Amino acid sequence: MRTLFYLLREAWANIWTNRTTTVVAILTTAFTLACVGIFLLLYVNLRAAAGWLQEDIKIMVYLDDRVAAATVNEVEQQLRNDRAVAALHFISKEQALGEFKAQFPSESHLLEGLGQNPLPASFVVTLSPPFRSPDAVQRWAERTGRLAGVAKVDYNQDWIDALSTVIRSIELVAIGIGLVLSAAAVTIIANTIRLTLFARRDEIAILRLIGATKTFIRIPYLLEGAVLGGLGSAMSLFMLKVLYELFRQEMRTTGRFSGLEHLIMFFPLSICLVLVAVGVGLGCAGSFVSLRRFDEAKV
Amino acid sequence: MIQLMHVTKQYNRRPALSDVTLDIQKGEFVLLMGPSGAGKSTLLRLLIGAERPDDGQVFVNGRNVTTLKASEIPFLRRKVGTVFQDFRLLPKKSVFENVALPLLVQGVSSSDIKRKVTEALRAVGVEHKRDQLPVSLSTGEQQRVCIARAIVNGPVVLLADEPTGNLDPVLTGEIIELFKLINARGTTVVVATHDPSVMAQVNRRVVTLVRGTLMPEQRVVV
Ligand SMILES: Nc1ncnc2c1ncn2[C@@H]1O[C@H](COP(=O)(O)OP(=O)(O)OP(=O)(O)O)[C@@H](O)[C@H]1O
Ligand SMILES: [Mg+2]
Repeated sequence: MRTLFYLLREAWANIWTNRTTTVVAILTTAFTLACVGIFLLLYVNLRAAAGWLQEDIKIMVYLDDRVAAATVNEVEQQLRNDRAVAALHFISKEQALGEFKAQFPSESHLLEGLGQNPLPASFVVTLSPPFRSPDAVQRWAERTGRLAGVAKVDYNQDWIDALSTVIRSIELVAIGIGLVLSAAAVTIIANTIRLTLFARRDEIAILRLIGATKTFIRIPYLLEGAVLGGLGSAMSLFMLKVLYELFRQEMRTTGRFSGLEHLIMFFPLSICLVLVAVGVGLGCAGSFVSLRRFDEAKV
Repeated sequence: MIQLMHVTKQYNRRPALSDVTLDIQKGEFVLLMGPSGAGKSTLLRLLIGAERPDDGQVFVNGRNVTTLKASEIPFLRRKVGTVFQDFRLLPKKSVFENVALPLLVQGVSSSDIKRKVTEALRAVGVEHKRDQLPVSLSTGEQQRVCIARAIVNGPVVLLADEPTGNLDPVLTGEIIELFKLINARGTTVVVATHDPSVMAQVNRRVVTLVRGTLMPEQRVVV
């Protein structure tokens, strides 16, 4: 108990004696992590946007013209029982023709010349949210295309592919930038801890001499790193939140993208907590790096 | 209690200790003499695992220090008290906190810490200074606090490197008396010094190092 108290007090003393360095380190870490955060925010929002856009994607399941009504019923049953299918709407041959005529009145004579209705009957399918990712759509389409009585499954392939490419590249950029800047944050914190270690090297030598274990000696510095990383991360979230609110305000007042300001979102609380935890982890990693070097130098 | 067998230690290929063999029994008071650079500090550092010998074996309290893992060294040091010429007290901690430190790192309970620290401070005669900072103490008092810190654990061995190097002859005499008192309670004491006047005051076994080599012993009988 007293030991714990001692360790906490030592960590606090370290932070307090180097308060200028500490504040600078926290701010630098915060800016660094905020850069990562911007990309993360962009990524999260684009993913969400992709979700809404894909809601509108309708998949056409065209039926083979030659099949009997019983088979059509069977296909319908199968689609209705499919977990992936959220909504289903049948378009008969006649309805398809009607729609075609309504949409392209000048072209309707083309069909009439054929004598019989060439348009197939179809089901219009909306997939349920978990199955809306580009990969899932493609898999579902392939699977459904193999059902008996189904001639063809059609959806806007290009559009979905383009979107998934954009999301994937942002994901890659976010991961790349995240890794580089996280390493930068670790370095910043490692340097701060190194200064503390250097300032307290005599004290550490004394602790070693009187039989303190490595862990005991390290804890205050690990705590210091954790505090730096955690506060840096929290601060970066705060800066991002301010930026985000300003951005939304801007959208509202200029009137451009009206309506969109309700759609963009900030990190949910759970993600915020995870990000602070990541900051704490980075901070500990930073102190660990310095402690390792310090041990090797054996000052 | 302390045993060195054919110990050699080199720094940059220059031997600081060469083929040193020494046996110190439990309860002995040994004076380690020798001119500056003879290797006295090196020998003491070997005993607490702060250095490793290039050759030979070192035993302290029945344990082979040479083969001790780095993680076991703290536990060796809890059994071996150390005192230095430059005191090495934490400047921002009170006398009490300084002496309490070896207990604190072992997780001793608050009440035991209080009792043991008070005992140790009383034993060295500075209990009235317990709440002061080291800087406000005289050098003699600082060295006493240092000794209190070294004995607060009840160590089996007390090692002192030039403990009187910064003290005048009167204070030196007092500190030597204190070591004798600690020794009389059963703790093995090894004091390294280059000051011949200390030898006259101690009047015990003397081990002399010259340029890293042990000289034949002269035993002073009281
Ligand atoms: N860390 C070190 N690196 C290199 N050489 C060292 C180191 N420590 C000691 N030496 C050398 O080893 C030799 C013995 O040093 P040591 O400190 O043991 O002597 P000493 O007897 O304690 O001397 P003093 O009375 O001056 O304290 C000296 O020549 C010294 O220069
Ligand atoms: Mg020396």
